[in-house]
Amino acid sequence: MTAEHPALALRGLAKSFDGKVAVAGVDLDVPAGSFYGLLGPNGAGKTTTLSMAVGLLRPDAGGAWVLGHDVWADPAGAKQLLGVMPDGVRLFDRLSGAELLAYHGLLRGMDPAVVDQRAAELLDVLALGDAGRTLVVDYSAGMKKKIGLACALLHGPRLLVLDEPFEAVDPVSAALIRDILQRYVAGGGTVVFSSHVMEVVERLCSHVAILAGGVIKRVGTLPEVRGERSLEQVFVEVVGGRTATGEELAWLSR
Amino acid sequence: MAVPVSVPAAPARRVSVRHFVRLKLRVMGNNFRGQGWRIALFVVGSLVALWFAGTGFLLFAAPGLAGDGRYALLVAAFGGGLAVLGWLLLPLVFFGVDETLDPARFALLPLPRRTLVTGLFAAALVSVPAVAVLLALSGLVVTAGALGGWPAAGVAAVGVVGGLLLCIAAARAVTSAFATMLRSRRVRDLAAVLLAAAAALLGPLQLVGVAAVRDADWDRLTGVAEVVGWTPFGAPWTAGIDVAQGRVWAAPVKLLITALAVVALLAWWSRSLESAMVGSASAGRAPARRDATGGAVAQLFPRAVGWARRDRLGALVAREARYWWRDARRRANLITIAVVGIFVPVMVNLGGSGFTVDSEQGLTAAGDTSPVLVSLSMLFVGLLAAVTLANQFGFDGSGYAAHVVAGVPGQLELRARMTAFSIYVLPMLGVVSVVLAVVLGEPGWIGLMAGTLVAAYGAGLAVNCFISVLGAYSLPETSNPFALNSGAGVAKSFLTLLAMLATAVAAAPMVVAAALLGDAWLWLALPVGAAYGLGAALLGAYLAGDVLDRRQPELLATVTPRR
Repeated sequence: MTAEHPALALRGLAKSFDGKVAVAGVDLDVPAGSFYGLLGPNGAGKTTTLSMAVGLLRPDAGGAWVLGHDVWADPAGAKQLLGVMPDGVRLFDRLSGAELLAYHGLLRGMDPAVVDQRAAELLDVLALGDAGRTLVVDYSAGMKKKIGLACALLHGPRLLVLDEPFEAVDPVSAALIRDILQRYVAGGGTVVFSSHVMEVVERLCSHVAILAGGVIKRVGTLPEVRGERSLEQVFVEVVGGRTATGEELAWLSR
Repeated sequence: MAVPVSVPAAPARRVSVRHFVRLKLRVMGNNFRGQGWRIALFVVGSLVALWFAGTGFLLFAAPGLAGDGRYALLVAAFGGGLAVLGWLLLPLVFFGVDETLDPARFALLPLPRRTLVTGLFAAALVSVPAVAVLLALSGLVVTAGALGGWPAAGVAAVGVVGGLLLCIAAARAVTSAFATMLRSRRVRDLAAVLLAAAAALLGPLQLVGVAAVRDADWDRLTGVAEVVGWTPFGAPWTAGIDVAQGRVWAAPVKLLITALAVVALLAWWSRSLESAMVGSASAGRAPARRDATGGAVAQLFPRAVGWARRDRLGALVAREARYWWRDARRRANLITIAVVGIFVPVMVNLGGSGFTVDSEQGLTAAGDTSPVLVSLSMLFVGLLAAVTLANQFGFDGSGYAAHVVAGVPGQLELRARMTAFSIYVLPMLGVVSVVLAVVLGEPGWIGLMAGTLVAAYGAGLAVNCFISVLGAYSLPETSNPFALNSGAGVAKSFLTLLAMLATAVAAAPMVVAAALLGDAWLWLALPVGAAYGLGAALLGAYLAGDVLDRRQPELLATVTPRR
């Protein structure tokens, strides 16, 4: 039944903070089984959009559906199918990695034995086993992203929503995360993630949406959006950034 | 035409204290922007502070207005000394310090330590409590002026300003030092003991004071006031009075004492500031934790929570229980409860009568305390313990997002939080009743005390459920457990007072019963109190849980620190 529904559907999502519009009506359909990249410059509203999509932030208008379940009307049904890694990896960081995984697993109502087994596997695959009982607060940025990903994956969600999973991550960890995500999509899962690293998006994504100023500027499969050019060229053109500096900042060069 | 980077275009201009003060005002102003309720809170808080300041002013001006020089020294030494003591201890125990200007933010700026300390100090002076204290103690200027004319008033004015500086410096130095100690994993237990000892000092001090007042021996009291006047606690306040009463030579010495004390405190602050600026990096490596044993789930549950089922409720309780110990802010609160919980009842119940110094029996506790008085003090301890949860979601900060994503039901969440907190607090409350019963020599009252404690605590949990869901605010992500966001100070004080009042009302039947029922209540109090407390807590979680379910995302937004 869920196969007819898109993995994630957003309709007219809008949000403003103190009169300043952050997201101005976003419509998006993420097909099940896709690897979806949400691109945008800093401050484009990526985090706000994803937060509203997963139920972390109440939208001013519009709605979000996860495999047909309304995130705001039927949160229990939607959140069951959903794995989330929020921006800045918001975690209870005074737990060790294993404790944190156990906590997330039990919060999701999983069987303790399954939690133990999956936690051990995840820690092993993500090379976090060596950290032992180090608290997550003392982890490096890359390790925090990895444990955040592990928490989002633990209960076997059908849709994975990740905010900036590759930000501040070293190449080794990034490769590992990429690998796991590709395996997850190959296994029938759906990934939506935000990023402004073109290279990663170009390599991974089947679909792309470019968000700027709180609205979707381009959307479609990667070849559709990219056309004949590189994604970066399209992105800069759509976002309309300035590229050249002239006389200003002359004091920077000697 | 390009100027090379390596040579600064102009020599760096001196950074003056003015910059810090302006920065603080600007940050405060920006915090108000578009937040009507914050402005309202600030205004109300300022009005309350003004009211207290006016009352204090009249009190300190009274000896002068009445033209009665006898009490002038007493009022100045004891009243002023109390103000210093309050600034020294209250930030640790209750209120925290306003860290609008977080020292860590200045770490990268090329500022000499001296500039930074004086700047932050000046910025700390710009606050409502500081202004209120200045207003209140200005009453001393009136007193000195009425008794000794303009010169005395002038000296008193200088003294009062010096005293204010002393108060602020003391508050900053002590909180900063304790923050450093609590942060460092090695000496944090020592810090707890020190805090307990500091609070313990209050007990004997009060006993001495009450005994002295009871004897109504003004000469001896004046003698004590004179001694206090020569310590930093009383020196700044009594200088003007000294001039008025003809001891002109004492004034400069006392002002010098004040100045030296301020400098010493600032120097102390300056030292602990360094570690605050570099943050947790200086706290040393975590002690090697024991290697992980057992599965992930087994690791999550501390031994004290071993009985819990391995399900959602159990996991929540286990995580909360771990956090009450691992989070410095929470631990500081636990220590406060333990310290205040022992000493306030002892002081109230013994202070009413005091120790009588009997030549034959030595020091004995006079037994004229009553079940009502005991119940009242127990009520206070119970509500104080519960009020710690008034901002329980603020402790979580953005980590609370995990609960929103997982869709944790509100009632479950609140019940788990109460349970985890009670794992620490209930044994403490038990110890309080036993200790107090022994100290008072009334072992038969244990049931009464424990019952009232539990009832007040349970009612407090219920009240604070609502406060924590509806009145949450974010805590700054600094390493100082005493730090508050600007503006949050007023909010925190208000919510705390509100919660305490509501709890007191909810638990008042226990005190009434103690007054009306007589001896039968000594036996009934424990079962009735326990049932009342448990029922109230469960009802609170049930009702507040519904509210929480409806406003989870809003709660998350309010507890997430603004970056």
